[in-house]
Amino acid sequence: MSQSEAKDSGARDTAMVTITINGREVEADPSKPLIAACHAEGEEVPHYCYHPGLSPVGSCRICQVGVQQGQMPPRVMAACRTPVAEGMVVDTEAPKAHDARRECLEFLLKNHPLDCPICDKAGECTLQDYSFDEGQGEGRSVEPRRKLDKRKSLGDVIVLDQERCILCSRCVRFFEEVPETPQLCIGERGSHSVVETFMNRPLTGNYQGNLADICPVGALTLKEFRFQARVWNLHKVASTCAGCSRGCAVTTEVLRKHEVKRFRPRHEPAVNGYWMCDTGRFALEAPNREHRLCGGILRGGSGQAQPVDTRTALEVARDMLIVHGEALIVASPFLTVEEGRELLALGKTLGARPVFLSPEPNDLTDDLLHTGDPCPNRRGLSELGFDALPVEEVLETLPSYESALLVGERLIDMLGAKNLATLPTALRVVLLECHYVDSPSIDVAVGIPNHVEREGTWVNVDGHAGRIAIARPTPEGVWMATRTIDTLHELLTMSAPGADAPGSATPGAIPSTPGAEATLG
Amino acid sequence: MVIVKRKILSLWERLYLPEVLRGLSITFRKMFEPRVTRQYPEEGLPTDGVTRGQPRLVVKDDGNIACVSCGLCEAACPAYAITIDGQETDRFIEREPERFDIDMLRCILCGFCEEACPKDAIYMSNELELADYTREALAYDMEKLKRPASAMRERMDYVKKINDRW
Ligand code: SF4
Ligand code: SF4
Ligand code: SF4
Ligand code: FES
Repeated sequence: MSQSEAKDSGARDTAMVTITINGREVEADPSKPLIAACHAEGEEVPHYCYHPGLSPVGSCRICQVGVQQGQMPPRVMAACRTPVAEGMVVDTEAPKAHDARRECLEFLLKNHPLDCPICDKAGECTLQDYSFDEGQGEGRSVEPRRKLDKRKSLGDVIVLDQERCILCSRCVRFFEEVPETPQLCIGERGSHSVVETFMNRPLTGNYQGNLADICPVGALTLKEFRFQARVWNLHKVASTCAGCSRGCAVTTEVLRKHEVKRFRPRHEPAVNGYWMCDTGRFALEAPNREHRLCGGILRGGSGQAQPVDTRTALEVARDMLIVHGEALIVASPFLTVEEGRELLALGKTLGARPVFLSPEPNDLTDDLLHTGDPCPNRRGLSELGFDALPVEEVLETLPSYESALLVGERLIDMLGAKNLATLPTALRVVLLECHYVDSPSIDVAVGIPNHVEREGTWVNVDGHAGRIAIARPTPEGVWMATRTIDTLHELLTMSAPGADAPGSATPGAIPSTPGAEATLG
Repeated sequence: MVIVKRKILSLWERLYLPEVLRGLSITFRKMFEPRVTRQYPEEGLPTDGVTRGQPRLVVKDDGNIACVSCGLCEAACPAYAITIDGQETDRFIEREPERFDIDMLRCILCGFCEEACPKDAIYMSNELELADYTREALAYDMEKLKRPASAMRERMDYVKKINDRW
C-alpha cells in the first residue's frame, strides 16, 4: 500500500545510518521510524495507526517485525515506534513477528462487524487486506460483539460507524497535527472506548474529508459518497485539483466512464503532502454537470440556435472574426498552459489582446492549503503573457470591442449567464465552452472538454507544474481544446477575408483559399 | 461424389404389405404405453433445486430486497451482464440497490453471481424461458428480477445443501 507514500525521504542532510532489512544493507534516515525505512525498501509491513503524514503512536501493534540490535537476541518490535539505529538487523518476515501480528489481528477482529458487503471501505480496506494475508479463517471467541452506534453523524461531511472503528487514533491525531484544531478524542476506557467529538459537537473546518481517507477501516465515511459506488468500479487517474491555485495533486475517480465520484488527495510533498481541502474534494458538480455543448451551435440572423459539427462552426467563427476586426480574447483561468500557448499564437494572428478572467478571491483561504484564489492556472497563464482582468472589467471593456473570443470552461459561470445574454448586440462573440448559453451576441459556440476530460499543465501558486489528465472520454463530437484552438488558428491563417462576407455567414459560404495571407488587425 | 448403389430387394421385401404391418404394429403398441414426449410450451418442463435457470433477486419475507448492492456478483459476472448502483436506507441494513440490471441477453447462466453473493440475495431460479420482441425488453431491471423468497426456496435449500458439504 503506502510504501510509495513513504518514499519521500531521500534528499535530507541528516547523516544516514546503515541497517539490514531482510538481508539487504540499506541506508536509512534516522529521523524516521523503522517502518518508513522498510516501506522505502518495498517491504510490506502492515500498519493501521502509523500514517506517514502523522506522528507515530504505536497503538495498534500490527506493524511488529523482528529486530536484532547489537549483542541482544532478536526480538519483536513495533516498527512504527522504533527509531532506526546503526547496525540494526531487521527481519520483516520473522515467524515470531507473524505470530504477533496474527494475534493482534484476532483482537482487532474480535469486535469488528462482518460489514464488508455494505462497507464503503471494502476493496481499499487494510483490515480486509491483512486479514486475507495472515488472518485466521474463523473467530474463536464466543462472546457477542459489542453493539455501538452504527451511523453517528459527525457534522456535514463525515459519518462514524463506531462498531467498525479499530481505535487507531489516526483521525484524532489528524485534527491535532494537520489543521491543528483538535476536535476528536477517544472517549471511555478499555473495551468501551469510542471515537467522539468534544461535547458531541459537529466537526468543523475545510479538511474533514481527509478523515475518510486516513481511517484505515470503514469507520469514517463521506456522507457524499456513502453507498454510492464500489471502489473497484472506479477508474482512477492521477490529476490536479481545480479548486484553487494551490493545485493539489489528486486522483480523479470516475464511475463507468461517466460520473466523477471522488477526488482524493495524492501524495505530493511539494504541494499538498497527503491532504486536500473539502472544497476541492467535493467540487463534483461542475465536472458532472449535464447538458454539455457537443459539437458547435450557430446562431444566425434568425436567432435560431442551429447545431452543426465542430469544423463547420469553426469555419463560421473564422469568417466572423475576420469581418469584425478588433477582438478581445478572454481565456478562462482553467485553460492549461498548452491551450494558453495555442491561444496566444491565435491572438497574435488576430492582433487581439489576450486576457484571462480573474474572479474575486473567495474567503476560503487558510494557512494550510486553500489559497482562496479560484484560478487553478493563474500563474501559468500570467507567465505566458495573459493579463489578468477582473470580471467587472471584462464586462465593462467588452462592448468597446467589435468581437470577442471567449475560451475555456466555466466562463459562463464566472461572467454570469445573464450578463452574457445582455451583451450589446453590436458585439459578436465566439464562445468555446463546455456549456451553451443563448445570447443574441453569441454567433458561434463550440463545445470543449472540461478539466476531467483534457490533459495539460497547470502551474500552481508556487510555480509547481501539475498535470491534469483525461479521466473519462469527451462527449460525442467534442474535440480536445488544443485541437479546436489550433484548427481555428489554422483557418484564420489560411484564408483571406472575403470582400463582402456577411457577419453571420452560412456554413461554407466563404471558400477558404489556402496559401493566401490574411491581413488582419 | 458418392455413388449409392440401388439395393436389390428380396421378394419378401418387394411384397410391401408385411413391412407396413410391422410398422403399424409398433405404432399401435406405443399408443398404449406411457408417453415420454410433452406438449411444450403448453406443458412446462419439470424443474427442481438443481435446475439452474435465470438469476433472480430474493425479496425477503419482510418485503425488503435481500441484496445490499455489494457489487460482488457484478464483479464475478464473466459476461458483464450485471450493473448495480447502491443507495442508503433507513433500515438496520444500511444499503440497498438503487438500480440492479441484468442484461439477460448477456447472461450466460453460469451461476457465478449466486456463488459470489454473501447475502443469499441472488439465486438461479427455475425460470428457463427467455423470449421477447426487442433486445431492450430483455435487459431486466430490478422490478423484473424480484421474486419472493418462497418462490426460490427449493433452489436456496439445494444450494445450502451443496455448500454445507465443504
Ligand atoms: S472496515 Fe474493512 S473489514 Fe471492516 S467492514 Fe469495512 S471493509 Fe470490512
Ligand atoms: S475512526 Fe478510523 S481513524 Fe479514527 S480511530 Fe477509528 S479506525 Fe482509526
Ligand atoms: S452479490 Fe448479492 S448482495 Fe451483493 S450485489 Fe449481488 S445480489 Fe446484491
Ligand atoms: S502501525 Fe505500528 S503500532 Fe500501529
